[in-house]
Formats: sequence, C-alpha cells, structure tokens
Amino acid sequence: MTRRARLKTLIAALACVSLLLAGCTGTEGQTTASSGDGMVDFLNYGDFGGGAAPKPNYNPYLETTKLSAADYIYEPLMYVEGYSCKALPWLATAYQWTDPQTLVYTVRDGVKWNDGKPFTAADVAFTFTMIKKYPALDLKGVWTYLSAVKADGNKVTMSFKKPAASVFTLVSDVRIVPEHVWSKVADPTTFTNATAPVGTGPMKVKSFNPRQLVVERNPDYWQADKIKVKELRFNKADAGGQVEQLKLSRGEYDTNAMFVQDIKKAYVDRDPKNHHYWYAPGGVISVYMNLTETPFNDAAFRKALTTAFNHQQVIDRAQLGYVTQASQSGLVVPGQKDWLPQGLADDGRIKYDPAAADKALTDAGYTKDSKGHRLGKDGKPISFSFKVPGSYVDWVAAADILIKNLTALGFNVTKDTPTPEAHDQERATGNYDMMFGVHGGGCNMYANFSDPLNSARTAPIGKKADSNEIRWQDPKTDELLSQLETSPDEGTQKQAVAGLVDIMMNQVPMIPIWYGAKWFQYDTKKAEGWPNEQDPYADGGNGLVVLTHLVPSSGS
Amino acid sequence: MLYFVRRAGFFLATLWAAVTLNFLIPRLQPGDPAQAMLNRLQGETTAVNPAQLEAIRKLLGTPDGNLLSQYWDYLGAICTGHFGVSYSYFPYTVTAMISSALPWTLILVGVTQMLSFAIGTLLGAWAAYRRNSRVDSVITLGSTFVGTLPFFWLALLLIFVFAITLNWFPDGGGYGGGSSPSWTWLFVSDAFQHSVLPAVALLITGPIGWIIGMRNNMVQTLGEDYARLARAKGLPRRRIALTYGARIAILPNVTGFAIALGSLLGGTVLVETIFNYPGLGRLLLEAVSNKDYPLMQALFLFTTIGVLTANFLADVTYGFLDPRVRRAEAV
Repeated sequence: MTRRARLKTLIAALACVSLLLAGCTGTEGQTTASSGDGMVDFLNYGDFGGGAAPKPNYNPYLETTKLSAADYIYEPLMYVEGYSCKALPWLATAYQWTDPQTLVYTVRDGVKWNDGKPFTAADVAFTFTMIKKYPALDLKGVWTYLSAVKADGNKVTMSFKKPAASVFTLVSDVRIVPEHVWSKVADPTTFTNATAPVGTGPMKVKSFNPRQLVVERNPDYWQADKIKVKELRFNKADAGGQVEQLKLSRGEYDTNAMFVQDIKKAYVDRDPKNHHYWYAPGGVISVYMNLTETPFNDAAFRKALTTAFNHQQVIDRAQLGYVTQASQSGLVVPGQKDWLPQGLADDGRIKYDPAAADKALTDAGYTKDSKGHRLGKDGKPISFSFKVPGSYVDWVAAADILIKNLTALGFNVTKDTPTPEAHDQERATGNYDMMFGVHGGGCNMYANFSDPLNSARTAPIGKKADSNEIRWQDPKTDELLSQLETSPDEGTQKQAVAGLVDIMMNQVPMIPIWYGAKWFQYDTKKAEGWPNEQDPYADGGNGLVVLTHLVPSSGS
Repeated sequence: MLYFVRRAGFFLATLWAAVTLNFLIPRLQPGDPAQAMLNRLQGETTAVNPAQLEAIRKLLGTPDGNLLSQYWDYLGAICTGHFGVSYSYFPYTVTAMISSALPWTLILVGVTQMLSFAIGTLLGAWAAYRRNSRVDSVITLGSTFVGTLPFFWLALLLIFVFAITLNWFPDGGGYGGGSSPSWTWLFVSDAFQHSVLPAVALLITGPIGWIIGMRNNMVQTLGEDYARLARAKGLPRRRIALTYGARIAILPNVTGFAIALGSLLGGTVLVETIFNYPGLGRLLLEAVSNKDYPLMQALFLFTTIGVLTANFLADVTYGFLDPRVRRAEAV
C-alpha cells in the first residue's frame, strides 16, 4: 500500500466506526408519534429543572431543586390556573367558608395513590400538619394564618387564627402527599423521594438520567379518561441557549418555555401550520420611584408622569413585541378583568401623551426654565438617576427609552447600571431614585396589592424592605388591604380591589409599564389542545391542566 | 535541605492564605443564595413571594452568625472533609456532586491535556529541527493563527458543522438521553461519541502553547556551543536534535505541564459549558451563579490545592534537577 492509500483506508475505517457508534445512542432518534389507540405515544418537553447535573428529586416542597416530574405526580386541593385565576376543583370537589375563620373542603371520592391505596381527607390533614412541623416546607406561608387542620369523613376543616379569606389560593395550592409514605420519612426537608414517588397525579416516573426524565401515564388516575398522552419526555436544556433554539426550530420539542430572539422567523416560519407561541402576561414591571424623596413624594408629580412614558416603543423595541402594555390599575388585564371596577377607561391603560405630561407637571408647580430644564419646587433643576441591571439587556433598552422620554420633559436623568445582585439589594434598601420593580401578576389578589403597598411590608431607608420597596405608607391603603385580606365575600373583596385600583390610578405609588411574558411555545404536529389567546383556559406553565386538555392531532 | 523546608513552608503559608480568601471572597459579594435560586427558577419578570423566600432560606440554613464563627466552622469542615449540603442541588451533598462530576473532567481534560502536551512538544521539536523550512513556517504560523481564534467560536463552529449540519456527533452532553451511566459497551461507546467534539476542540487549541514554547527553547539549545561541537564532531543531525536539543529544551515544558494539570479545573469551565459536559467546570459555573457557597468553596479549594501542590512538586523537582536553584536559595 502506498502512503496515500493507507491514509484513505484509515479515514474510511474511522468513518465506519463513528457511524457504528452513531447507531447506538439509545432511544433519542425514535420519531413515532401516535398509535392506533387514540393516544399520543410521547411528547418532548423542555428542561426538567435540577440544574446542570440533576439528581433524582421528587420532593414537591423542595421548590428550587425538585425535578418537574413532581408537578405531574403531586396535586393540590384546587388548581388555581394562572391566566384568569379560576380555581378548578382538583383533589377537592368543593369548598365553603362556613364563617370568615373556617374553610371546609370536600375531598374527591375514588381517588387512588399510584401504589393502589385510597386517598382520603386524612392525607390532607397529615400534609398540612407536616408542613407546620417543618416551616421550611411551608412555601406559601399558610401557617402564618392557620391554627388547625382537621379531617372528618370526606371533609377537611381549616381553622384560621383570624379572618383570612385571602389565603384561599395559597391553601388550595399546597401539594398533598400520602400519609402512609411520608409519615415514615425521618426528615421530609432532606427527603429526595427518588424511588417510585407515590402521588395521585396523572404521571409516574418511568426513567431518569441526568439528560432525560421520562414520566408515563398512570392508568388509575382519577381523571384518566382525560389523559391522552402516554409519556412525557423532559430533555435537559443545554447551557448555551443557541443550541436549544436550534432544536426548538427544528421541531424537536413539542412544547417549551424559552426566550427566543425573533420567534416568528426562528420558530413559527419554520412550520407555520404547527409551530405556535403564546406569551401570556405575567408579573407587572413598573417604574418604582423612591417615595421618600422629592419630587417623588408628591402625588401630583407622579400622576403627571403616567402619560410621560412611551409604552409602545418599549414594547416594540426593548421587548420585541412579545409583551403588552400594563394597566395602571396594578392588575393583569385582560385575564383579571373581572376584578376591575366598572367604567375604567381602556382597562386602566394610560396613553402616552408627552404634551399632557408637560402640562400636568407645569400645573403641579414644576415649571421649565428658559433653557428647558424642569425645575423643582425649590427652583433648582430636577436631576436623578435611573438604576437598571447592566446585564438585563432588554431592561436597559427599556430604561433608555424611558430616560429619553424624561429628558424630553426637561429632567436631567443619568443611567446607572449595577450588577443584578447590587441592583436588587439597593432596591430592597431604598438606595435609588428611580428603577424598575416587579410586583403582582399572581392569583392571590391580596398578595398582588399587599406585597408592594402594605406599610407592614416596608422598612426605613437603609434597611431591607420585605416587599414594599417603594416605601408606600398610607392608612387608607392598609385599611382596604385588611378588608381584602379578611372578607370571604366576593362583593366586599371587589369593593376593596376597586378602592386599591383607585389609589393606583390617582395617587400612583408606581407606574406600571409592561407585563413580563410567560414564555410558551407549542407544536401541534403530535398533539393539540394547548392553551392560547383564543382558548386561554390556563397559562402555558400550568402543565397539569394543559395535560388534561391535550388530544392527538387531528391532522396526523 | 534548607531549600526543601523553605519550599514546604511557603507551600503551607500560601495554602492558608488561599483557603482564607476562598472563605472571604464569596461572602463579600452582594446577593442572597435563596433569592438567586428563586430568580433563576422564575425569571426576573416574576414577583418574588416573600413567604417562599423565607421557606427556602430556612431550608438551606443560609449561614448566619458572625463571620469568625463561620470561619471556624469552615476550617473544621475542611479538615474533616465535610463540605456540607449543596444549595443548588439540595439535599445532595457537595461530596456527592463533586464525585459524580470528577470522572468526566478527569477523563476528558486529563486525556486531552496529555495529548496536547505530547502533540505540541513533538510538533514544536519538529519545527525547530527543520527550522526556517516550509514545515517550520506552516507549524509556527499555523499555530499562531489558530491561537488567535476565540475558543468559544471554534467550539460553536464545530457544533454547528459536525453536530447540527452533518449530524455526525451529538451537540452536547456527556451521554445520550436514552442511556444512563454504567460500565456497559453501549454506554461507554455513547460517552465516547459525546466526548469527540469537546476533545477535538481542546486538541485544536491545546497544543499551541507547547508548540511555540518547545520550538523556541529548542532553537536556542541547538544554537548552543555543545550542539555546534556535536555537529562538528559529525554526529547525525537527528541524534543531535533528539538527544541534545529536545532533551534539554523540554525541561521548562515539563514544569509548565505539572502546573497545567494542577489548574485543570479552571480550563474546563468554558469547554464544559459550551458542550454541556457534565464535569467540574460546569458545576463550578453553576455554583457561582447560584451563590452555592458550599459547592463553590469546595471546588475552589480543590483548584487551589491542585495548583499549589503542582507548583510545590515542580519546585521540588527543579531542586533535584538543577543544583543551581538549590544553592542560590540556600545562600
């Protein structure tokens, strides 16, 4: 053999070996989707949590390290879906406030744990008692309100220390675990629940490795007739987002929840018939003003600024058109529209109108000098800084637009870009003039308003505030909040919300700009019934509810 | 003897300083592990629930108490080898996390480091042996050129061409989704296949330093009087190059190699992140971004000990190899 011929043989041999190896990579390449039994064989989901080197962990209370299979194994009493906040009967069929301090759930008959044992009200009582004993498991803080939980027949009675209607969504959402398994666990805070986790949910763990987690249909599920998917396969996301985006665009995921630059071109256009996305509105991103400083302590000043910001430009340029304008009411519209008081123009969305802002500022006593500088009431030009985390590119772009709007009104605004950690710290301690803050967006109406506005949740400047980072202190607000916290009557709750919305609209403790997007992409090649703008029965993150709506695609 | 005692003393003092800095630096940064993890989980556009944050803090047992008592606990833990529970992989221990990641890094990076060293040294020696010829310019210019390319760009290019476009190799990970770690032929071949692209990426850039170093050293030694004498004496060129040139020129490279092996961890962060490889480098990156103090400290500690030990060994070896060093210090 000549030298060249030898080289050729070597290359050929190497190629053969690598092809052979390519043949044995397990089940990854399998593509069959649906079989003849009216079921989807499997769906590919995105990441399953647990970090880059995940270890099996199906403890539903270890919020930051559990794997997402736990969400399909353990179920709550009522499932409060994240879009319009309806409480769907789940392990409980009904609930009733017998008095403002007593909540009674009726648990569902015929529910079985996936090891065959029946689910009872005693399991519910056990679960609540356990999270009382281990406060680290009480993720919703329900025991700050609860005094006792008792089971009797198919009823669970929850007694509260004081009227606490607002705690309903929190209590309803606690995942219920089986007494016959968890009562034998020595320390549930360090329990990984790694082998054959016992739950009531629609799925059971089939296999796990750090790259892929597979759950399979539980045939004895209490609403098994609604589960038309045999297997969910969760795939570990690569650390680099680009590769993940490429995989998404090639249709390797049936659903995912990631940020994609130019989603239309990168995803939808690749298969317009099947590739879809729906970004439901989430938390409210607002301009926070330090209310202990002039001129931000003047309500007229703050109200004048509500028309000063060009929301649409922020949405189109900084947020790629993925988000919608936030309502000044503090609520998430249109999902929570039912809570809005009657007659609020455009659901509380305020139009960008720099001329109106200029006039309102002037009328409030903030005039411009001959050089166009906006003057404070002390006659000096107003200057302040806008803090935004330097690494949040989209927030920086949004801040740039807002700063431009403020500069056009004659303010002298400087941009300050700390690290995200420093930014959060400075926001909590009140070391800022103006910055972005996130609040609300949840289904607990009390928390939505109380977290940012309750005077009990704030702290003096320099001390870390619990959640009232703008340092809003107002007796009227506190009174409305306590009404909202305690009243089980929906009419009274709505009245309180209307009062709070009025404060948001007229006293303007902060200025909502846009709603954070809940990333959600889905592919209708194999399955359909995903939630979307036309059928918003839940948001994309409510996996358990979504699973009960999925059916094999009619097209396939 | 005094030389070795001094070296050992220096080693211990540096070790203590490094261990203390390792304790202090993470704690001086702003941020809260519970908050960092929650942010990562929910994204920054979701409002944080204070009750949840409180529960997570309780769970992790985020360190409180004064810095001094924490420091004592930390020193005690290091001496007994108890590194505690990882925050980002709660309730798994730091030891469990490191021991499952260690083999991947050792095999991938260990093997490629050694191969890089061998390839680099051989190519460098060859270039010096044929200095100023076409071979020399190809090797020297080629490696200088490749050296200017950013590593992540090369790595992404490899993924794009061989994983995405040609689909010859997987795009990342240590093994496929269908197999799980075990000593079976199926798994080992799968793991091998997954290691090809990261190994190639490392082998493209790895040898460059060794090539340049070796070539320059050897060109110098070949110009020494004894090499000229050997040539005048009529020894074969190949023998002069290998026995007199390469043998001496390789010395500084050996020291460099010891240090490179010691600092193995630092070099793996980038490659393991890009290829999503389940090794120590990626674990370190994650620990840092999650403010996972226990895991971070253990990893930094191992790196520090690795580098210091390698340095110490290199010093000691040098003392043996080169009597001048010993004498200079003893005076």
